[in-house]
Amino acid sequence: MTCIGEPVSWLALERAALGESDGAVAAHLAACAACRDCLDRLRADVVVLPPLRVEAVRPRARWWRFGIAGLGAALAAAVLAIVLIPPGDHGRPDQVAAERVAHVKGVGDVVVGVVRDRAGAIAEDATVFRAGDRWKVVVTCAAPADAWLDVAVVDDTGAAYPVAAAHVACGNRVVVPGAFELTGARPNRVCAIAAAGAPPPRGTLPDDAACITIRPE
Amino acid sequence: MLDAQAAYRSFGPALVRKAERVLRSRDDATDIVHALFVDLLPKWNADMDLPYLYRAVTNRCLNALRDRATRARLLARDGTAVAPAGRVKLDDAVVGTALIAQLADSLDDAHLEVLVCRFVDDMTQDEIAAHLKVSRKTVGKRLDRIRDAVVALRGAA
Repeated sequence: MTCIGEPVSWLALERAALGESDGAVAAHLAACAACRDCLDRLRADVVVLPPLRVEAVRPRARWWRFGIAGLGAALAAAVLAIVLIPPGDHGRPDQVAAERVAHVKGVGDVVVGVVRDRAGAIAEDATVFRAGDRWKVVVTCAAPADAWLDVAVVDDTGAAYPVAAAHVACGNRVVVPGAFELTGARPNRVCAIAAAGAPPPRGTLPDDAACITIRPE
Repeated sequence: MLDAQAAYRSFGPALVRKAERVLRSRDDATDIVHALFVDLLPKWNADMDLPYLYRAVTNRCLNALRDRATRARLLARDGTAVAPAGRVKLDDAVVGTALIAQLADSLDDAHLEVLVCRFVDDMTQDEIAAHLKVSRKTVGKRLDRIRDAVVALRGAA
């Protein structure tokens, strides 16, 4: 697909994607399928940005004013925790974490995460979905390994593979290319399937898939 | 006026895609955009709109390509960028990271900025003139000089 004339610049396309109106750009987009396709790709793309943290200079804490009260409160909380939480009842957070980690031969531990784009609001590792949300899968595995990654979305009806398998270099929260939407009224398990050397086969979800469960809102 | 955090959320993705078109690496592009906002935070003001940030990202990408270690790492990578390459071609060739890196040794900042605007960001000469706040004639002259540099590079190869 080629442009009918002079392509609309990426800056103009980004401004259009942000909702800025420009008559000439709008007219070109109405007539040019190639540039419209570029705009659609911009809109579909999900970029995961690290948080922008402001390192505020903290005033000197006058801790002694609160020290005794704070110590008392902490002690009370510790006593309550010992009394109220039965021994061994620490399973739930660990189970959640365990589901998200897979040990893959030739790659090592693979931890799956997700990024939700809800009308421009980015949430990391969100666990609820709504129609129209865009999702990306991120994976953490130890460098310098590399891995083939595929994404499966599993619900009652079976597994779907919404993005193409990709070969990535391991690192922290490496983004698997491609984004997808979740639909339906039932929970979905979003799973990262990793393999060394070749794309993992599709069909049956392997035991070593790392999954995160996302429920309808 | 958007504050820095709002601008980061709003413009950040566009800037990452822009840097990715130059560097062909989303990770490096994300690092560049994040570092830019970290540096701009203390001096954030109303002039820092998307075109301003676009220029700032261009300059940071060019600095990354001038750095020999970064350049070697970027050029050694597989081309796995999500962002598409520029659609405007220079003598029927797509201007890629390797060519920009080579030209970074022979062209000054002003010419490199025009190169990126024209062949990576696909701006028209009029858009470049408005974006860089120079005359269209100046843009044309710089593009001629860029073509001469490319011809010289190909002649030397």
